[in-house]
Order: sequence, then C-alpha cells, then structure tokens
Amino acid sequence: MVDLIKKNAKSLQESLFSSVGSAALTIATSYLVINFFRGMLGFALTSDKDWLAVLNNMQLYMVQAYPEEDFIRVWLSVGLTFVLAGLSIGIWRSDDRVKSSKVFNSFFKGGLGVLFFTIIAPTNSSFMGNDGSVITEEVFSMETRLGILIPVAIFCVIFFSIRFININFTVNSSDMVFFYLFIPVALLWFIKLPTIQLDQNNERIIPDPVMPIADTTKIPWTVIFVSFLASYFIGMYLKNIKSIKSIMSLSWFLLPLLIFSWIFKKPQIDMSVVLGSDLPIFGAFLLWGFLVITFVNNSIFKKYYSTYLGLTFLLTLVGVFSGLPMLAKTCLLLIALFSVVVPAVSTSSQGKRSLLIVWAVALVTLTFLLRGGASDTGIVVPGSSIFGGFSLTWLLAIFGTYVSFPLGVLLALGRNSKLPIIRIVCTGIIELTRSVPYITWLFFASVTLAVFLPAGVEFNLIVRVLMVTAFFSGAYFAENIRGGLQSIPKGQYEAADAIGMSPFQKISLIIMPQALRAVIPTLVSSAITAFKDSSLVTIIGLFDFLTIGKTVIGNQSIPVNFVGHDRENLIFVAIVYWIFTFTLSRRSMKVEKKLGLGER
Amino acid sequence: MSIIQTKDVKKWFGDFQALKGISMDVAEGEVLVICGPSGSGKSTFIRCINRLEQHQEGQIIVDGIELTNDLKNIEAIRSEVGMVFQSFNLFPHLTVMQNITLAQIWVRKKNRAEAEEKAMELLERVGIPEQAQKFPGQLSGGQQQRVAIARALAMEPKIMLFDEPTSALDPEMIKEVLDVMKELAQSGMTMIVVTHEMGFAKEVADRVMLFDEGQLVEQNTPEEFFNNPESERTKLFLSQIL
Repeated sequence: MVDLIKKNAKSLQESLFSSVGSAALTIATSYLVINFFRGMLGFALTSDKDWLAVLNNMQLYMVQAYPEEDFIRVWLSVGLTFVLAGLSIGIWRSDDRVKSSKVFNSFFKGGLGVLFFTIIAPTNSSFMGNDGSVITEEVFSMETRLGILIPVAIFCVIFFSIRFININFTVNSSDMVFFYLFIPVALLWFIKLPTIQLDQNNERIIPDPVMPIADTTKIPWTVIFVSFLASYFIGMYLKNIKSIKSIMSLSWFLLPLLIFSWIFKKPQIDMSVVLGSDLPIFGAFLLWGFLVITFVNNSIFKKYYSTYLGLTFLLTLVGVFSGLPMLAKTCLLLIALFSVVVPAVSTSSQGKRSLLIVWAVALVTLTFLLRGGASDTGIVVPGSSIFGGFSLTWLLAIFGTYVSFPLGVLLALGRNSKLPIIRIVCTGIIELTRSVPYITWLFFASVTLAVFLPAGVEFNLIVRVLMVTAFFSGAYFAENIRGGLQSIPKGQYEAADAIGMSPFQKISLIIMPQALRAVIPTLVSSAITAFKDSSLVTIIGLFDFLTIGKTVIGNQSIPVNFVGHDRENLIFVAIVYWIFTFTLSRRSMKVEKKLGLGER
Repeated sequence: MSIIQTKDVKKWFGDFQALKGISMDVAEGEVLVICGPSGSGKSTFIRCINRLEQHQEGQIIVDGIELTNDLKNIEAIRSEVGMVFQSFNLFPHLTVMQNITLAQIWVRKKNRAEAEEKAMELLERVGIPEQAQKFPGQLSGGQQQRVAIARALAMEPKIMLFDEPTSALDPEMIKEVLDVMKELAQSGMTMIVVTHEMGFAKEVADRVMLFDEGQLVEQNTPEEFFNNPESERTKLFLSQIL
C-alpha cells in the first residue's frame, strides 16, 4: 500500500510539478477551479434560492400542459421504448466483462468527488437582499459538513482498500446497465423531498414539509424498470430465433411512428371511413403489388412490362390530380416506383418473399400514418402544440436524427452519383438547405410550408418543424458523410467489384461502414448541435425544455410565486443538457474505439 | 479450348492510348506471365479482363461470355475471375474471416457455416489459419496478400488475375506469397500474372509475354523467352532486369 501511494505521489509530482513554470500553472489553475466551485456552491445554497421552483415543476418540464388523464400514453411510449431496448440488449448481449476492480474504482472516484465538494464548500455566503443590502448567512454548517464527510470518507476507504483483499470477479457489461438503472429506481422509494404544501388560505406552509415521492412517479418507473428487466431475459431467450435481429430493427424503425401517430395523439378515427375506403384501397394495392411481384419475370408478362410501366405512371399522374382519397394517391405513387425496382430483385423465390414483406410493411405503415397521424387528435390542450418541455426537445432530437441520418446517407450518395440528374438534385437540396439559417427554416415551417402541401393536407406545427429539421440536419449529415466517402481509397471499390458484389452490396457492406467510421466524431458533433439547436423552436411559439425553465416557470405566480427564480431553473436546464450531450459524446468515443479495432 | 480470348483490344485514357490492339488466347489451366516496363499497359490489360477498366475497341470473351456494358454479364464474369491487387485491398473494417466469407455469403448465397468452413480450408491452404480472427491491419504485408488470395479463391473462380502481387512487399515476404502462387499453379488454375519476378516466370509459367507501349511485343515459352529472345526489345528488357 505504501508503495502504491509513493508511486502515485511520484507520478503526480512528475505531471504537475515538473518545473517551476508548470508548478505555478498548477497552483494558479487549482486556485481558479476551487474558487469557481466555491462560488457556485455558495450561490446554490443561499436561502434566497428556491430550488423547489425546479422540483415542483417537473411535470411542466417533462410534458408541459399535456392533460393528466392522457398521461398513460406518455408512460406507455416510454415503457414501450424501454421494453424494446431491453429486448435488444438481451438479443445483442455483449460478451464483454467488466472487472470488479474497475467498478469499485469508479465508486471510489465518485466518493472522492463528493469529498472534494464537501471540503471546498463555503461556510458563509452573501447575496443581495430585496432592499439592496448585502446579506451574509451561514449556508453550510460544520455539523452538516462533518455529517457528509465522515460517511463518504469511510465509503472511499472501503472501496480503495478492496483492491488489496483480492476480490476478483467480472460482471457482464450488459448486466451493468440494469444495475446502474436499479439504483435511481430503488431510490425513488426511499428518498423524501421537501414538497410545496398550501394551507387553507392558499399560503405556502413554511418550512416545506418533507414528503416521499408521489406514487404517480414511482409506480410507473418501477413498472417500467421491471418490464425492462423482464424483456432483457426474454431477449436472451429469443436470441437464437433466426430472423429476430431483422424483426427488432424493423420494430425500432416503426416505434417512433407508433409513438407519434398513436400514443402522443389520441386519434379520432371514423370507423366507416376506415372500413369503407381505407381497407379496400389497402387490399387492392396489396393484391396489385403481389401480382407484380409474382408475374414480373414471367415470360409473357415480361414482353408487356414496359407498356405496363408506362400505363402505371400515366395512371399515377392522372390519379394524383384527381379527387381520389389521399391514401389512394400515395399508394399509386408508391406502386409506380415499386414496379421499377421489382424486376431486378424478384428473380429468386427468396427475393420475391422479402419483396412481398417490404411491400406489406410499407402499405401498413402508410395506411397507419395517413389515417392515424393525420386524423384529429382528441387531446385538448391550451395553446398551439400538443406537448412541450423535455418531450418536445427529446422528440425533435431523436426523431430529427432518426429521419435526417438516413436522409443524409442518401443525399451523400446522391451527390457522388454518376447520374447527373440525381447529382444535381442532391447537390441542390444540400446547398439550398445549408445556405439558409435554421431559424428561417423554422419560420418557413410555421408560416409558409402549408402553401406547398396539397390542399386538404394539414400537419401539426410539430410535424412541420420535424420536416424542416430532418432536411436541415440531413444536409449537414450528408456533407459529413461525403467527407467520409472521399476518404475511402479507390482500391476498396475495385476489390468489392472484383469479388462480384452488386453496387448496392458494395455500398452497404464495404464503403458505407468505413466511411461512417471515419466521420463518427463529426457526426456526433452534428447530432449534439441538432439537440441543442432544438431550443430555437421557441421562436415560433413552441415550448421546448429551455423555454419552460426560462419563460414559463420564471413567470409563474399561481399557485406559488416563482417569479425571479429563473436562475435556478437555468442552471437545472444547463445541467440536463450537459448530461445528455456528455453521455452522447462518451458513448461515441466508446463506439469509435470498438470500431477502430482493425486500424493500425 | 481457350478460356480467355481477346481480339484487337484498344483502350485510351483521354488522348493517351494505353492498349494498341492486343490479341491473345489463354488456354484453360495455363499460367501466363506478363512482364514489361512500367506504363506498358500490362496492368490495364488484365484489369480490362474483369472490367475494372473498360476497353473501347475490340473484343474480350471470358469463358464464352463477351464483356459488354450489360451488367449481368459483368457480374457473371467477375464471379468467375478472381483478382489479387498490388496493394492487397483487404476490407480493413472486417476480420480476416469476414473478408473471406463476405462474398460467399452475399454473392454466392452460401450459409455462414459453409462459408466459414470454406474460409478455414483456404486459410490453411495459404498457411495462416491462426490469423482468422485478426483484422487486416494487424497482419504483415505478406500475410495480407495471402488473405487476399484466399478471398479471391473463396469465390471458386476459374481464372485468377494477379496484378503485381509482390511489388508492395518486403523481399522476405515475397517468397511466402510466391510459394502460395506456385502451389496454385500446380493445382491447375488458369492464371495471368503481371509481375517482375523473373524467377517465378522461369519456374512456373507456361508462357511469358512482354508488353511495351501498349503492344504485345513477344510471347514464348519461358525457356525460349529467356534464352533465345526474338526481338531486340525483349533482349534490351532482359538485359536491364536480370
């Protein structure tokens, strides 16, 4: 043990105090860092800061004014996401194992962090009172300090000394996810927080009584955690089913659509329309697709294939401008495009089968979206948007990336295409989108976009914002990916050609994986930018996470007066943003490391 | 019966004419070595055989199929013709095993187990079965080139093309690659090898050709080619290289 300390001390000396200059730099920097944190802690602890302004408004932060009787939809969507995540972790369960020493070491380091802040926290802090005078008060008494210091120090010593008593075991790194999630969920049942309570005269009871966390928070989270864990085991059990991985990928693909069109919306569906118009159209186009897939390579049909294709396109052109229902128009367009692709793929029975699945899924999704997504919502909220707060920020970030990333890949490939028309169109889209500020696009979404849509089609403001966001960040993704594509040597294309790969296989198996790997850092920084830029939607009247903290809570006076407490809220918002972006960048570093295995 | 026939193949890069009418036949099981100074069009010629370069005039017929712009023909020919490159061109993001199984699974539609069995067999044949789970970046140049040969062989080609397979290697590693190629030649594979390794040509080749300035200057058996060259150009080339 003494050796270890000596060794550490020596390496510290070498890295921090190697010369006079570096010693001075070390001392100056630590002085600055310590004073910064002292100031922050003093600020946070003074009695004129009302942190309940944050805590009491969690619901507002999460979903804004979403009606309480429909919360089950939000919980369901969160739960569904966790169930899918659990299944995926189970199916793709990694074989990596984490050493116990590493886990203990992270506990030790965490404890050290707490110790550091406890030690540097100021005893007294001053703030400006209402009458302009400076008030100094004791914010961190010696008893509190010792009360934290002693248990944490013992905690640190325990986890430090464990390394000398040879406890060696390893934990599966996938299992660790559940362990880390278990801690906060378990804490929900034990932690008590100060809560705002009003007396008969609607006056706040002071001091705030300490209460356990509400059942409406802890029960859903516990249920979600249990289903998450259960789906993990189910996932491990399902692992060996043959096509389970493609089913999972498809579910992930469909999940946002489901959440968006059915759970965040309470569709008011007219069943007579569904039965009388949607189902027949759906059935007819399913049959059409099936016939094309089956007979396209038949020798008789093949002769008339070009006639058929021409007729279909003509019909589409006529249909789009006729009074057909929207679903029929879109299906016509889809079948025309589909008929072009079919002959090349439907050569084998396996190809026919997968084509049929693709066609069916596309039709189901389309019918679903057009009927469910475009129908009126039964959720009544004040204001223009159905929900706001963190849900909105999260939706814009996740859904935006989810649509814009594939779009970016396609645009990047299109811009590198040999066909001039595709190249020009893709270059045009990219350059047009990038050359206009995001805020302009937001105004476009809120004011102008409706003009460009066919008559009778109306989208919610949030959907319109998602559309422009997809294109905007898609253009940035496309340029990043194009950079990656240019870094692939010509030999890789030739090698893929030489072993007989089709152009599609070449791009998806050889070129894209390498191109994406080369640009992970820039892709992640684009995603982080998109996440943070989502707060700009405040400018067109949507209430994102930041706006809730700054504007809504900062002006809240009923039932409790929180006016002037926006600083606490801003700090909270900043911390939440930081946690998400930091996690994202750390994860990406791990992925990068994992993918970079072969590169030397 | 000749498996490759070319008639008066011509190719231009812009104004520069790289091939000035090459006509030749390769018989099944024949090992053909092409040599010549750099810029003589020998690499361009064998790259035309599997359409990595496009010839503008003349005819190339491989295994009874003529190379045209028809994509079906090109893919059919490419799966019959294996190619080994000077710079290996292994896929750096895949393990050695995945490099060899990828085309079997996606192009030949084999299942994974079958493909891996075949891959192990080939890795044993080229002498590096223990490297199967490594990434190309972790191997030496000679090992990488042998993996590249295994990758090409995994498609069970009828013809193998080698485009200066040893030019990017250390002298010590050249031998291990040449040994694999010799073994391959003895097994009856049809091979066209562009190389400067005259020792290999003498020992293994059935026929040696000299290219110069886009033309086929001379072709002969190795004995005649090295001992009694007909043209002055060949004599000059041999005097410089040997």
